[in-house]
Formats: sequence, structure tokens, C-alpha cells
Amino acid sequence: MNVLILDGGPRDGRGAACRVVAAAAADWARRRGHAVAFLSPDGMALEPCRSCFACWVKHPGACAIRDDAEAIVRAAAAADLMVWITPVTFGGYGPALKRALDRVLPILLPDFIVRRRETRHPLRYVRRRALVVLGTRPDPDPEAERIFHRLVARNALNWDSVHSASHVVTERDESGSAGRVEDLLRAAEEAL
Amino acid sequence: MKALLIVGSPRGQASASRALGGYLLRRLRASGLDVEEAAAGAVLGSPERRHALYKASDEADIVIVSFPLYVDQLPAPLVQALELLAERRRGAMGLTPWPGPFEQKLAAIVQSGFPETSQNLVAVDIMRQFAKEAGFRWAGGLALGMGGAVGRRPLEKAGGRLRNVVKALDIAAASLAAGGDIPDGAAALMARPLMPFWLYRAAATWGFRRRIRKNGARTPRRPT
Ligand SMILES: Cc1cc2nc3c(=O)[nH]c(=O)nc-3n(C[C@H](O)[C@H](O)[C@H](O)COP(=O)(O)O)c2cc1C
Repeated sequence: MNVLILDGGPRDGRGAACRVVAAAAADWARRRGHAVAFLSPDGMALEPCRSCFACWVKHPGACAIRDDAEAIVRAAAAADLMVWITPVTFGGYGPALKRALDRVLPILLPDFIVRRRETRHPLRYVRRRALVVLGTRPDPDPEAERIFHRLVARNALNWDSVHSASHVVTERDESGSAGRVEDLLRAAEEAL
Repeated sequence: MKALLIVGSPRGQASASRALGGYLLRRLRASGLDVEEAAAGAVLGSPERRHALYKASDEADIVIVSFPLYVDQLPAPLVQALELLAERRRGAMGLTPWPGPFEQKLAAIVQSGFPETSQNLVAVDIMRQFAKEAGFRWAGGLALGMGGAVGRRPLEKAGGRLRNVVKALDIAAASLAAGGDIPDGAAALMARPLMPFWLYRAAATWGFRRRIRKNGARTPRRPT
């Protein structure tokens, strides 16, 4: 199985918690014998999406900006299980993960269809996919966490995922989080 | 009173976000407020503009953030700009006394390419959470689906289809200028579908297919 791990934390000290979680996820996937693609968007050459839609109408499937986003699109298209890691930022994702995800637009087709009673786009490369999103926060904030879980559920619907899960690791209980992260990854593996 | 508009679309002036936020700003100016405008993306690339954004947000009584829904939330450059703003404010507010206005409000306008207004509600909640973490008082949000039908032209020139959108912004502007928040009635008016969902989906699908055909573009079977 192909596992894509996107460590969306900043490369400086503020990304330490994300690095710990991402390493735990990668370690689990390798022990399970999966093919792991490990990417850290903050360290990659990634311009923000310009919203030109050339990836839909000019050269479908390919972005107009030629940079490291190509590697992310390719890995995401091939992934059975995607694991995204990010600092919970106002309840949403941090800038580095978000920049990568905005650039994954080529993965969708432009048609407007209905999926589970809401409008969505079909996927250009159909596959059985699972999504696990792991957030980090210095301390608990129930409201931010509620927003985060709702957001992940919506993103999972975009990918037509057969399974999705989200979890927020607070930096104080970081050491106890590895077991929980493994449980979530194992459940995703079973669902696939 | 001062109002600051932050536009979160990379399309800048030629965006639905700017059309909506710009109209609200002009209504506030007509009510006697001083107004200022910034683009989230431009702020990131230039230290001068970042300084100007910090200064404008320190002084503003009302900050309005208008943006398109990207992947069910804020576009990346806007997240980054708001993160900088929150960090800056957490530091600056340690100053005693805080030199800015006693109470600063934050309002949001979110619109999406999909037709259902409800798809924007997580993004509205993210903005409320930003307000809390950055020391603003939350003044409410206006969300709408079918952003593709808003167009990019000034709303003063908009046709009858957008009358509820214009009315919602008028009500919101009057209330904000009088020191209030965005009334629930304005949000409800803004949330009303501009046309039946099926029609929007059909028109949007047709529009993209036509552009693909015109370009003679073809979909590869593997990612390139
Ligand atoms: C990278 C990207 C991601 C998007 N994600 C969503 C989405 O999740 N849901 C949605 O309804 N529209 C989505 N859209 C569509 C925009 O929200 C829509 O086109 C909007 O009207 C653009 O507003 P603007 O003119 O202010 O940029 C996305 C567009 C882009 C370019």
C-alpha cells in the first residue's frame, strides 16, 4: 500500500510537535512494509495557487506553475492512505499544509456532481483512499478542535475517501500520542 | 471610525471577494468611516506592506476579511497573513495602555464555487476562532454559495439576480457603521441561493467543458 505523509509543520522550532507525529506515522508505515512518500511542504519550493484553472481547462491534470507541487500531486494521486500533519491554526490547517493542498487542484475534474447530498468535483484518478489528519496544539482548545474535526470530514468527502479520521495531539501529551496515532493508522489500513 | 478590508483572493481586484468586500467598504465610507484596503498575498511578499497592514489593523475599529473558500477553508496566503497578524497582536497587546481602539471588531465574508452556502460554515467558524485568538470581538460573518455567479464587477452595477446580496451588504454596513454587528437577517439574506442548485451545477459544468473544448485540451491518464 502507498502511504503519503505530508508533514505540514513549519521547519523552525514551532514545527517540532508535527515532526514527532510525522516520524511516528512514518515509522509505523515502514514497519508495516508500506511504500512511504514523506514530504514536508514548508521546505519545498511551493508558490501559492493563482486560481487560473489552467490545470482544468488548458493542460488538464498539470499546474501552470512548475515547482515542487508536481511531486505532491503525483504522490497524492498514487496514495492509498494520506496522512496530513499540521499545527491546528484557528481550527484550520497551517499555511504550509494549506499551500500544498491548494496546489492539488489538478487532481480534480471540473464537473459539478452531487456526492452525499452536496456538490463536489469528481476525482481525475479514481482510487480507494483513506485520509488521516493529525493536528498539533500547544494546549487543548475544544472549540478549535471541533472546527478541525468538521473540516477534516469535509476534506475526506472531497477525496471520496472510504475512511477518514482526525485527532489533535496537545504538545503536553505528545509522548502518549504515538499509540493513539498508530491506532488511527491501523484502522485506516483495515478499512482499505 | 476606521474600517480595514483584507481581500484573501489571489485574483485581487478581479475577484468575487473584492466585489463583495469592496461594496461593503464603499457603503461604510458613505456612512462617514475612513477606509483602507489590503491584499493578503501582497502583504506576505513585502515588509512595507506588512508594516502597513499591522498599522492599519492596530488603528481599525472594524476589520473585514473577504475571501474565497479554498479546500473548505481559507486560501493559504490568507492563513499565513492572519497568523502573522495574530502573532503581532499578541505581542503588541502586551503594551499598556494598548494604543489602538478600545474595542476592535472582526467580520468575515466567505463565498464558494459550490452552490451550497452551508459549505462555507466551517470557514466562518475559523474566522471566529481567529478573532478570539487575535483579540478581536467577533461581529459575524456573511457566507454565500455560487460565488461564480457574483462576478467581479462592482456590485453597484449588478443585476436583479444579486439583489439579496446587495441588500444583505447594505444592512450589514448600516449596522456596522452604527456600532452594531452583522445582523442575523443580513446573513440569512446573503445565504439565499441565487438560482436552483441543479441549474448552477449544470451551468458551471457546461462553462468549464466549453473552455476545455475551446482549448482543445485533453486529460492525461496519469498525473504529469
Ligand atoms: C485551489 C482552489 C480551491 C477551491 N476550493 C473550493 C472548495 O473547497 N469549495 C468550493 O465551493 N469552492 C472552492 N473553490 C472555488 C472558489 O471558492 C470560487 O471560485 C470563488 O468564487 C473564487 O472567488 P474569488 O473570485 O474571490 O477568488 C476553490 C478554488 C481554488 C482555486
